[in-house]
Amino acid sequence: MSVIAPAVGRAGVSCTGVSVVYGDGDAAVRALDYIDIAIGPGERVALWGRSGSGKTTLLHVLGGLVVPTSGSVWWRDLQLSSLDARARGHARAQGIAYIFQGANLLPHFTAHENVAFAARVAGHVEDGRHTPPELLALVGLAGKLDALPGELSGGEAQRVAIARALAQQPQLLLCDEPTGHLDSDTGARVLDLIEALQQDFGFALVTATHDADVAARSARAAQMHDGRIVGEERSG
Amino acid sequence: MSVSIRLALAGLWRAPGRTLTRILVLAAAVALLGGMLLFVGNSLRTMSSSAVRSVALDWQGPVNSLGQAKKIAAGVAKQPGILEASATATAPLSGAQHTGPAGSTTTGAGAVLAVPPDYLKHINTFRLLRGGLAPGGVVLDQQMASTLQAQIGDTVRLTARPGSKPQPYKVSGVAIVTASDQLFAPLNPQLGPAPSQPPANVAVMQTDTFARTLAPTLRTITSVTPGASVQPGAQDGIQWQVQVQLDPHALSGGSPSAALTRADQTRNRVQRSFPGQIQFVDNLSDSLHTSAGDALYAEALYIMLAVPGALIALGLAYLAALGSVERDRRDFALLRARGASRRDLLALAGVESTILGVIAGLLGAGVAFAAVSTLVSGGAHLTTARALITGGACVALAIAGAAAARIGASVSVLRGTVVEGRSTATRGRAPFWQRYWLDLAALAGSAAIYWLTASTGFSAVVNPDSNPTLSLSVYMFFAPALLWIGATLLLVRLRGRMLAWAVRRAAGAAPGSSGLRPFVLASAGRRGAAINRGLIVVGLLLAFGVNLGIFTATYHQQAKVDAELTLGADVVATAAPGVTTQHNLAAKIAHVPGVTATSAVQHSYAYVGPDLQDTYGIDAGSFTKATTLRDSYFIGANAAQTLKRLKATPDGILVSKETIADYSLKLGDPLKLRVLDQPTGKFRVVRFRVAGIVQEFPSAPKDSFMVANVRYLNAVSRAAGPNVVFAKTSGGAPGVARRVAAATRSDGTQVKNIDQQTAQTTSTITTVDLTGISHIEQAFVIVLAAAAMALFVSLGIAERRHEFAAMTAMGASLRDVGAFLWSEAALVLAAGIALAAGLGWLLSVMLVAMLQHVFDPPPDALAVPWGFLGLLAAAAIGATLLAALLAARGLRRLPLGEILREQ
Repeated sequence: MSVIAPAVGRAGVSCTGVSVVYGDGDAAVRALDYIDIAIGPGERVALWGRSGSGKTTLLHVLGGLVVPTSGSVWWRDLQLSSLDARARGHARAQGIAYIFQGANLLPHFTAHENVAFAARVAGHVEDGRHTPPELLALVGLAGKLDALPGELSGGEAQRVAIARALAQQPQLLLCDEPTGHLDSDTGARVLDLIEALQQDFGFALVTATHDADVAARSARAAQMHDGRIVGEERSG
Repeated sequence: MSVSIRLALAGLWRAPGRTLTRILVLAAAVALLGGMLLFVGNSLRTMSSSAVRSVALDWQGPVNSLGQAKKIAAGVAKQPGILEASATATAPLSGAQHTGPAGSTTTGAGAVLAVPPDYLKHINTFRLLRGGLAPGGVVLDQQMASTLQAQIGDTVRLTARPGSKPQPYKVSGVAIVTASDQLFAPLNPQLGPAPSQPPANVAVMQTDTFARTLAPTLRTITSVTPGASVQPGAQDGIQWQVQVQLDPHALSGGSPSAALTRADQTRNRVQRSFPGQIQFVDNLSDSLHTSAGDALYAEALYIMLAVPGALIALGLAYLAALGSVERDRRDFALLRARGASRRDLLALAGVESTILGVIAGLLGAGVAFAAVSTLVSGGAHLTTARALITGGACVALAIAGAAAARIGASVSVLRGTVVEGRSTATRGRAPFWQRYWLDLAALAGSAAIYWLTASTGFSAVVNPDSNPTLSLSVYMFFAPALLWIGATLLLVRLRGRMLAWAVRRAAGAAPGSSGLRPFVLASAGRRGAAINRGLIVVGLLLAFGVNLGIFTATYHQQAKVDAELTLGADVVATAAPGVTTQHNLAAKIAHVPGVTATSAVQHSYAYVGPDLQDTYGIDAGSFTKATTLRDSYFIGANAAQTLKRLKATPDGILVSKETIADYSLKLGDPLKLRVLDQPTGKFRVVRFRVAGIVQEFPSAPKDSFMVANVRYLNAVSRAAGPNVVFAKTSGGAPGVARRVAAATRSDGTQVKNIDQQTAQTTSTITTVDLTGISHIEQAFVIVLAAAAMALFVSLGIAERRHEFAAMTAMGASLRDVGAFLWSEAALVLAAGIALAAGLGWLLSVMLVAMLQHVFDPPPDALAVPWGFLGLLAAAAIGATLLAALLAARGLRRLPLGEILREQ
């Protein structure tokens, strides 16, 4: 049974009755099953569950990367689920950023170019609060501006991904297992950094994780199983 | 192994699009080679059968009597591989007379051919126009009948030698003697076929009639009569001979060399069967020998033109294999994680390559057959053996190509782990060839070898052994090979330099700019390997196309020039000497619609010392209006100056540089020639004056010949006037030739046109038919250039889908993402076209110079086939645009969620 989240204003992201089905017929897989969730501005939410529980799919639905089979997704005053790919991309550029498990940096760009490209896509080259070098300095990589992704460690790559996400000046940051490829110490430092930046930048943060400890760091943790939200914990 | 087969089949089945692409590209690559194999095989067979067919009379064996001729002919006819053996004779004729209603008409000297009644069954030395051979009767050559104004049923009197009693014969037919050169040539088996002055008048009769009537008045030339018949036109006795025609089917199944070997074996066997009784003058082997030399040139040409194309086509197969490398990497990593060894993975790759290779090879062989059938006149003539050889070669090559491409593309997968295998950009050192400037070294080496081989005349020589072999300096092939390598590497270096410069400029010009250009340039600058891969395949393919187009266009241009040189003019009419003057044929032909100018030429023979040379009498004033003279035909002066000098010297003569050298002559020196006195058939000494040096001349043979003023030559040879009319046309030569033939039919002319001459496969190398192979290659190169660009674009998506998905996840627009793709495609296309223009042109220049023996006369300039080049560029550009459109569609449909989950 899905847990209905408290209603939020059009300033956040929400989804109602969202289902995602991959394939059809006997091969159909229901990745999300009638999900309702709402995340307010500046809120920190963890989506917690085992592999295959639907966390990543839900993150992709919230950011408009995947269009739900049924149900609706709202981002601010836009019904994201009804937009075409171009409009969804534009919406993402205007305030939704991702941090993926494997960083997914653009392999032929330096750290600086990765961040600068994100700023350019978001249209924040001229009016950005922070320049790409400043953002990289913020994540502790001031000396790695010209490093290519292949020349960075896993932790460094993830920090570039964070700087890149910040360059988009997001209102919603969606993190998919951001520490999945990192050792525990590095992972903890990355999480500390993300949380600190959330305090500074004020974006809503949704983190998908299989790690209960990581989930526990969020004020609100929705537990997922077989494509459904089966429980929610709040702290503080 | 069964597990590998199952896994390979499953892998291929799971990605049908990529499997199909790999099969199609491999099939196209091997189809090019298969097509060439079929074409070359066909071409060699055609050359053989053409050489065999072109000989009207294969062997002539001189004997001492009719009895001996009949006995040997009967024995030879029973030998295997012999189509016909006839006891025949040739003899001189001092004159003929016909008395008709208009009075009595006589002819000058001529010749008699005596043949058995069934002679024409398989031997075609003459063609009956009307009537036929009859006991006691005579068949007159058309010119002789025309001169005598004799009809079938009339009685003519033939005189064997001056002073002998004329013999009466009833005219039983009229014929055209088509092989006078061979029939009346002096027969000396030790020397082989010799040049001869064909008689102006020929009478044909049955052997028994001849033996009963004319033979008793003539002496017999015996095989021990030294020099009895070595002087053409001066045969003074009966030459009894056995004429033999071989079965062409037994000879024309393979290459000219093979046919020559078989013909020689047959001749040796027949001669061994009649020890000491007969030795043959072998006209067939002479023709096959020339053809075998041409075939070797043709094979060298095909290799130089075709092999680079086939190699580049296989490079395309490598590009196609790269399209599935990401999937292969995942599959291999999974298999390795489950315990598969590298050997197992290699076995899997081998099985997969075999499956792909068999399908692609068979498909390629089918396409090759269809292409040859469609694009080559005469078709593929596929037999079971040829089909098996071509199919087998295509399958073997496709398997090898698929395996090489697969292993080349997956080598990182076989070596390392999944993460290690994923390509990431790094700042590596420049490759060793760039550090050591091997590109420039290759270009310098190419230039040096080219210069060295050019200075030695490229030394491509057909060795006139019993079976010809071609001596090509192996260094000749290094020059173009090094040019291919050097130019490609230099372009790769320049591409890197130019991109680096553009990146620096973009970054410096617009710091902090919101434009996309700096990102696109930065990305392209770090994707050197991928861009170079596409650039090399596309650039080389286009360069190959340009090289092929220019070379074949130049070849065809020169074939036309050669045809004009061989034939003499656009249209050439040959008639009896008296007819040309009496009926004023030159003026008559000049009035035919489409003819812009005419000039009458006298073709005769004269001796310079012991050498019999063709001699041309021309009207220096009108000659250049009727045909083309190039400056390169003359030495020491241009065409206009030489003709002016000839015209100003009534007894002037142009001779070859060999004659000048052999007799230590200089301009203005007197030169005594023995000129054929037409009425008597004897040679007499006449004084000429050297007026110039000529090395080529319209309708002249390639060896020594002479050119004089027609008026003087006519006077000293007491000829009835010119016997050839050259005509220049303003429109299609075949149509004009038909009109000329119709207008001069009553004059007994033979009319030829330049198109007919171009198409005719004779013994000259420029008539090796490149049309077929160039059609095949041009069709393939257009398809492959389009495929290469399309593959490059689609490969870009396949390789960068993860990157593009990440950009899209950030919110980058389709236009922005697409810019990374099409900018690289545009770069590859532009650089490829630049490489093609430069390298293609240079290669053409080099190839034309290296194969200078093929081009006779040498081209004044390369011919540029703008139509084909435009089509080639359009195919590449069109395919790029189409691929870009499809790519945009593909980008829109990228399964972002699925891709971004991939690790």
